[in-house]
Amino acid sequence: MKQLACNECDLLIKIPELVHGYKAICPRCDFVITRFRERFRTKLLALSFSSLVFLALTLMFPFLIFTAQGRERTVYFLQSLKGMGEDTYFIVVLFMIITTIVVPVALMVGISFVVVSSRLSIGLPTSRRILKLIFQLQAWNMAEIFLLGILVSMVKIASLASVEFGWSFVAFVLYIATMAAMRIYMDKYQLWRIVSPTREAR
Amino acid sequence: MESRNYITACSKDLKACSTCLHLCKTKQFHCHICGSKIDSNNRHGIQTTIALLITALVLYIPSNLYPIMYTTYLGETSSNTILGGVITLWEHGSYPIAVVIFVASVLVPVVKIIALGWLSYSVHTKRILYFKNNHRMFRLTEFIGRWSMVDIFVVAILVALIQMGNVMRIMPGEASIAFAAMVVTTMLAAHYFDPRLIWEKLDQSEEPRVYE
Ligand SMILES: [Zn+2]
Ligand SMILES: [Zn+2]
Ligand SMILES: [Zn+2]
Repeated sequence: MKQLACNECDLLIKIPELVHGYKAICPRCDFVITRFRERFRTKLLALSFSSLVFLALTLMFPFLIFTAQGRERTVYFLQSLKGMGEDTYFIVVLFMIITTIVVPVALMVGISFVVVSSRLSIGLPTSRRILKLIFQLQAWNMAEIFLLGILVSMVKIASLASVEFGWSFVAFVLYIATMAAMRIYMDKYQLWRIVSPTREAR
Repeated sequence: MESRNYITACSKDLKACSTCLHLCKTKQFHCHICGSKIDSNNRHGIQTTIALLITALVLYIPSNLYPIMYTTYLGETSSNTILGGVITLWEHGSYPIAVVIFVASVLVPVVKIIALGWLSYSVHTKRILYFKNNHRMFRLTEFIGRWSMVDIFVVAILVALIQMGNVMRIMPGEASIAFAAMVVTTMLAAHYFDPRLIWEKLDQSEEPRVYE
């Protein structure tokens, strides 16, 4: 049992040792404080590695192929973000690149470091610094919103042109899927536990 | 109805670190696990939340008045505001997408600003709060806020795809900057609001502690 306070409502609670699939819910505000999943470290490592691979593939191949009035246009993933140009809308372009590529990559590299460091019991102070950053960045990961944006755009231009999805689009969907799966295992309580200076062997 | 006596961290001069959940003493300045600042007063964030909400409200005006994109079709250029885009989608029969864009771009930002404004106001006054409902409302605004960004991504994709000179071309509009800034501002406003404030009122009240 570890004493904690609910981050949402300040209630003092004791968290028992959880078994696979069980979660601890705050009795006062119903907030899910933690959920334990067996071998979550291995799963996080595997998922972040595959996300990185899928992102690399997304960047390499044509993303969307657009045909209208006999003309064809192939757009790569980065082009679809940079379309707004470099001058007036530079800030918006920068924001989109940060939220769909930079933040996710930082999260995946960071979490891999944390998992490996906790396994080997080396560099734990650095891991703590990284973990702090990871939880600050999490809200700014907007890659899945970009996917919704693509679907909406397709409907918007359906009457004007035909759009084909390139191989990179498939990789992008897998990139989003692996990242969504990662979110399941990103448990604040469990992750801080494995890098804490007073961690118990588990 | 159930009644329970709950013991809060605050009453024991403790505070959970919001970064790493470690239980720290309120007189500590920094958490000794992760180094985050420990602010014994949950209210400090409220001023920031209110300032950001006002900024968001101001930004909401240009993001709806100015065009979010310009469409050139066969030499003719027309402009589209966010709401105009929703109406066009509706007229073309794309009802689900029209609803998605309307909810994400028009409704969610307003509801979020009102909800956070209401929460900031209620934690200041001595009103009885609907704790559980208020807390649920806060969690929801925090969760859906970033999805408002979808319209910016739509504009970016359309601009990138449709570049055929005078035949057909889409250019971004001024509102996209204001709108993106507005979404970021509301996200930050939610970030600085400490949900513990919603419950703090309950801990100080003389009323029996009755839930739901
Ligand atoms: Zn709670
Ligand atoms: Zn901490
Ligand atoms: Zn501490």
